[in-house]
Amino acid sequence: MQDSDVAVSLTDVRKTYQLGEPVHALDGVSLEIPRGSYTAVMGPSGSGKSTLLNLVGCLDTPTEGTVTVDGRETSDLRETELARIRGEEVGFVFQTFNLMPRLTARENVALPLVFQDVSKDERHERAEAMLERVGLGDRVDHRPNELSGGQRQRVAVARALIADPAILLADEPTGNLDTDTGAKIMALFEELYDEGNTILMVTHERHVAEHAERIVHLLDGEVEAVEELSGAGRPTGAEVGDGSGAGGPGDDGRGDAEEGGERA
Amino acid sequence: MKLGAAFGMAWRAIKGHKLRSTLTTLGIVIGIAAVITFVTLGASLSAAIVGDVGAGEAQTMNVWAGPEDTQGGGGPGFGAQPVFTEHDLDRLRNVEGVESVIPYGQVATTAVGHDGDRVATSGVVATTPAYFDDAEFREGGSFEPGTRQVVLNPAAAEQFEQNATVGSTVTITLANGSTVDAEVAGVLDSSEGQSAFEGFGGSPRIYVSTDPFYSTQVESPSQSETQRVYSLLLVRASDPETVEATQDRVRGYLEDESDAADLAPEDYQFEVQTSEELLEQLQDVLDRLTAFVTGIAVLSLIVGAIGIANIMLVSVTERTREIGIMKAVGAKKRDVLTLFLVEASVIGIIGAVIGTLLGIVGGWAVTTLLDFPLTFPVEWFPIAVVVGVAVGVLSGLYPAWSGARTDPIEALRYE
Repeated sequence: MQDSDVAVSLTDVRKTYQLGEPVHALDGVSLEIPRGSYTAVMGPSGSGKSTLLNLVGCLDTPTEGTVTVDGRETSDLRETELARIRGEEVGFVFQTFNLMPRLTARENVALPLVFQDVSKDERHERAEAMLERVGLGDRVDHRPNELSGGQRQRVAVARALIADPAILLADEPTGNLDTDTGAKIMALFEELYDEGNTILMVTHERHVAEHAERIVHLLDGEVEAVEELSGAGRPTGAEVGDGSGAGGPGDDGRGDAEEGGERA
Repeated sequence: MKLGAAFGMAWRAIKGHKLRSTLTTLGIVIGIAAVITFVTLGASLSAAIVGDVGAGEAQTMNVWAGPEDTQGGGGPGFGAQPVFTEHDLDRLRNVEGVESVIPYGQVATTAVGHDGDRVATSGVVATTPAYFDDAEFREGGSFEPGTRQVVLNPAAAEQFEQNATVGSTVTITLANGSTVDAEVAGVLDSSEGQSAFEGFGGSPRIYVSTDPFYSTQVESPSQSETQRVYSLLLVRASDPETVEATQDRVRGYLEDESDAADLAPEDYQFEVQTSEELLEQLQDVLDRLTAFVTGIAVLSLIVGAIGIANIMLVSVTERTREIGIMKAVGAKKRDVLTLFLVEASVIGIIGAVIGTLLGIVGGWAVTTLLDFPLTFPVEWFPIAVVVGVAVGVLSGLYPAWSGARTDPIEALRYE
C-alpha cells in the first residue's frame, strides 16, 4: 500500500470510545502524508484532531483500519514497540511545551535518547548541536523556568527532532505564545520543512494553518475537505480533496525575523 | 534505559523535594538505626558475659539442688538449698573423673573492718583453697584450711581507707554479733567472678575457709552424725574430654546414693551444669531479649517502608504529566518502572547508610552509658544496607507499577 515516499498513512481509520454509548472520535479517515510534506489539520473541538495526532504519534491504536508510520503498521504492535516508534520515528511538539521541569534544556532535548540507551556524552553532544540548530546554543544549561515561552517551544522542537524522526507532530504549537513569538516558531517550522522534515500540525487558527502546504479539514471525525495551498513556490501536493474550503493563499508568516529573548 | 541515567534522574527528583525526601528517608534512618543499636547492645551484652568465661570453666561443673520447673532458667544456684553434706563431698571426690570438689557457702556477716574502718558487708564466701586453683594472685596466696585467714579480691582490699594488704588483719563481724579477727593471706589479681555462683562483675568479695568459719550443719542421714552442709558445689573434672561422662556419674551419685537426695525438698532436682552450659542458657535468654527488642525496632522499619510507599504514590500522582512526557518521547513501561524503583531504592540506600552510622553511634553511646565493652555485630551492617534497599524496592513496587501503566494521553492532559 505504502511506498517509501509516504511517511504516514491512515486507511479507513476508526477510533471509537465507549462513553456510555459508543462515540466515534474518528469515523473512517484515510490520509497519506508524503515525506517532506507540511500538513495542517484544522477543525472545531471534538472534530477528532487530537485523536488523529495521537494515532499517528502511536500514543493510541485505531479501533478499526490501519495506521502506518514509516512503513510499519501500528495496530497490532506491542506497547514496547509502540514506545520505540514514539521515541525514534515520531517527534511531538505540544501546545504547553511539556518540558521536564527539573531538567536543563540540554537534558530535555536529550531525553528521547535516554530511552534509546545512547551514551551520555553522545546524548549531550547531539542535544547541544540540536539546540544550536533551533537558535538556543547559549541556553543549554537553563531550566525551563529560566526560559521564555518561545525558547521553551524551541527546546521542545529540538527534542522532537533529536532522534531524526520520520514525522514531526505539532499540536497547536503556537497556542500558548503571543502572536509575535508564535510567528517566529512558525518561521522555524518552515525552515525545518525546507530542510526536508515532514510536519503534521494540528491547529484551529487559520493563519497558522496557512503556513502548511495543505490543510486537512476535519469535522465530526471525518475528513470534510483537503485544501491545497500554493504559496512561496511550494510544489503542489498530489492529493486533491473536494475543495470546499475557502483557500486563501496568504503566507504572511514567513518572515525571517530573529527571535529575541521575549517572554510569553 | 540505562541504570546510570535512571540514577541521575531519580537523584534529580529526590533533590527536587528536599524536605519531603528528608522526612521519608528519616523513617528508614530511624528504623535501621534502632535495629543496629539494639543488635549492638545485644552483642556487647553477650560479649561482656561470655568474655568472663575462663579457660578452665568448661571442665568445672556447678552443682546445686534447685526447683524442678525452672529448667535452668533461674541462673546458676537459683533456689539452691543446703543439702550437700561433708559425706557427699567425700564420696563425690571418689567418683571417676572428678579431680576436686569445692564447697561454696555463704557466711552471714554484718560488717568487715580494717585498720579502724568498718564497711557493711552482708556475707563472705566460705570455700576451700582449691577454689583458687586457676586464680591469679596480686600478692600472697590462698588461705590455709583450718586457719583464720581470708582472701580478698581487689575491690574488697581497696574498699577500706587503708588498703588491706597481705599480713594485715581484717575484723569480721558475724551476723550473731560476735567478731573474728582474720589475717589477709592473699589479694586476687582481678575482681572478676571466680565462678558462676559469684555472678559477673567486680563487687567486693571476701573469701574465708569453711573451717572454721562455715557453721551451717545438719545430721547426715547416712552417717547419723552432724556435718557441715552446703547448698552449692563446684566439681572439677580431671579431663575436659570426658566432662560429660563425669557429669552423668556425678548426677547419678547425687540422685541415687547421696545424703543430698534425702535432704532435698520434694519437687527439687539436681543441677549439674558446666559454666559453659550455664552461659549457653544465659546467652539463650539474652538472644531472646535481643530478638524481642529488635522486633520492635523492625516495626519502626516497617512504618518507614509505608512512608516510602506513601510518598512514592504521591510522587507518581504529582508527576503524572512527566510520565506522559516521557512516554511520548519513547519511554517504555519498564523505563518508568525502573525510574521510580530506583528513586525508592536510593531513598532506601541513603536511609540504610545513615541509619547504620547512626545505629553505630547509638550502640556506642548506650554501651558506654551502661559500661559494657563495645562489640559491633559487623555482619549486621551489610544486612542493614540490603534491608534498606529491599525496603525501598518493595515499598516502591506498587507506586512504580501504577506509574508505569499510566496512559500517556491521559497523563499529558493531566494538570
